[in-house]
Amino acid sequence: MTTATTAARPVQGGPRLPHTARLSFGGILRSEWIKLRSLRSTVWSYLIVVAISLGMAVLMSFSLANGMSGMDVSAAPPAEQTGMVLQSAVFGTYFGQLVVAVLGVLIISGEYTTGMIRSTLSAVPKRLPALAGKAVVLFVATLVVGVVTNLAAFGVAAAIFAGSGVHVSLFAENVLLVLGGAALYLALVSVFALGIGTIIRSSAGGIAAVLGILLLLPTVLGLIPAEWASDLMPYLLSSAGMTMFMTIGADPATLPGPNAWQSLLVVLAWLAVSLAGAAVLLKRRDA
Amino acid sequence: MITATALTKRYGAKTAVHDLSFEVRPGQVTGFLGPNGAGKSTTMRMIVGLDRPDTGSVTVGGKPYAEHRAPLHEVGALLDAKAVHTGRTAENHLLAMAATHGIAKRRVHEVIELTGLESVARKRVGGFSLGMGQRLGIAAAMLGDPSVLILDEPVNGLDPEGVLWVRQLVRHLAGEGRTVFLSSHLMSEMAQTADHLIVLGRGEIIADAPVEEIIAAGTRQRVRVRSPHASQLAELLAAPDVVIIRSEAGLLEITGLEAAGIGDLAAANGLAIHELTPQNASLEEAYLALTADAVEYRTEAVR
Repeated sequence: MTTATTAARPVQGGPRLPHTARLSFGGILRSEWIKLRSLRSTVWSYLIVVAISLGMAVLMSFSLANGMSGMDVSAAPPAEQTGMVLQSAVFGTYFGQLVVAVLGVLIISGEYTTGMIRSTLSAVPKRLPALAGKAVVLFVATLVVGVVTNLAAFGVAAAIFAGSGVHVSLFAENVLLVLGGAALYLALVSVFALGIGTIIRSSAGGIAAVLGILLLLPTVLGLIPAEWASDLMPYLLSSAGMTMFMTIGADPATLPGPNAWQSLLVVLAWLAVSLAGAAVLLKRRDA
Repeated sequence: MITATALTKRYGAKTAVHDLSFEVRPGQVTGFLGPNGAGKSTTMRMIVGLDRPDTGSVTVGGKPYAEHRAPLHEVGALLDAKAVHTGRTAENHLLAMAATHGIAKRRVHEVIELTGLESVARKRVGGFSLGMGQRLGIAAAMLGDPSVLILDEPVNGLDPEGVLWVRQLVRHLAGEGRTVFLSSHLMSEMAQTADHLIVLGRGEIIADAPVEEIIAAGTRQRVRVRSPHASQLAELLAAPDVVIIRSEAGLLEITGLEAAGIGDLAAANGLAIHELTPQNASLEEAYLALTADAVEYRTEAVR
């Protein structure tokens, strides 16, 4: 009991306000941004993404640069050198996708488990703009964190490789595209997870579902000794996601399945299904 | 002004509310009374569009809630003190709510002050007591300076001072011409706060009338008589529909007769009377009489 708060106030409703304020999508975006940055779980999730990416970049760079495969990396062809640095820089995305997926689920399931959703939907009774606002804010925040993180990771990787005589510029062909593509994938995964969280409405269930789709599905499919299973593999969310940035600039002849752009479309299709399901259920269900 | 027309809501096989039609008018406090499970919260959620009625409709200020350009200016609702993310501070919660409508930061601090939350505004809501949660809910409801206030059990968990504060606040808001719709299970609280009552039992409206009428209709008036000639008086008063209870020597509790009639009869017979008091029935009694048949979860009488 906090006695300090019980001081009786003079009874008044406050001055009647001039009613100029209106519900607007810009307002919803601001609201969702305040919500995103005012929760510790968000801040922690993004910090973990940064830490994992930088840590993985350091580990990968050292093992590759010090000739893990017994070769002299400084003697490798320039395209291969660029590839190794990039691979080190974006390696953390494998783990980062799991963190942003959990975050995407929590953004909405946290509202359901605490009851906050009723406040949200009272303020935005048409509901879909609230979901759209969340999706946009989450997408942009994750994209920005991803871009900054990947640039930093590239810097770390390039510095370590420089010690082994490998020099790769940030402005070399496709470097920025790959770094940006990896960040884009993170952002898309987080919004995909937001959709799943909206559909399932519980934190545990939602997290289990997205991690199942990202991790378990490829494993299960890999265990099925049928041709259709291996044909299907590139169309899984996580496989398509990795392809969409790792194979930028690759020779199409070396790719077994869809190329980078096609894989981006596959990822967008996953996203569309998740968001469409979320929109229909959010609109239809009682809050 | 809230207008409900033939509202029906079912959850699976259970009908929560059935064919509710009522109006909640501006400028007065309308109490929404009913036993647990009667459908009060369901009805309130339907008003702000959180639950969708199976049939029927409800409008606020002539339009469905969701059709308003600035819903928070139209209706402020406290439906559940826990409709707040526990990991966020009270201030950030209010700022986020305000941002949707472009409501100024200044107003956020006004409602924090209004509800006495200054000292905890920067603390996370997870650590709030029930009473502080209620105050935050009321602050959120007041944020848009709404013309309609819907408060579901607002005094739940408040200390006596808080209860008094809510009572004065809603009276004041109604005095400003706003529509105030208030549910409570505290009948005595309603008697002191509401002007008009809508009583719900098992999802249907049992009564919709001014508070005094409900009290008057709900119980027959009792008269307390103290007299040294109690036994003689009791014999004189005896009649088929008059009930006389003699609780102690010289004291009669009489139902079915007016105080004036008793006094006249005593005077005509030369019997001295030391006390003659009409007992005002409480809203509590009226309410119990009204809902006696409509209680969903009845407690067995303690013997």
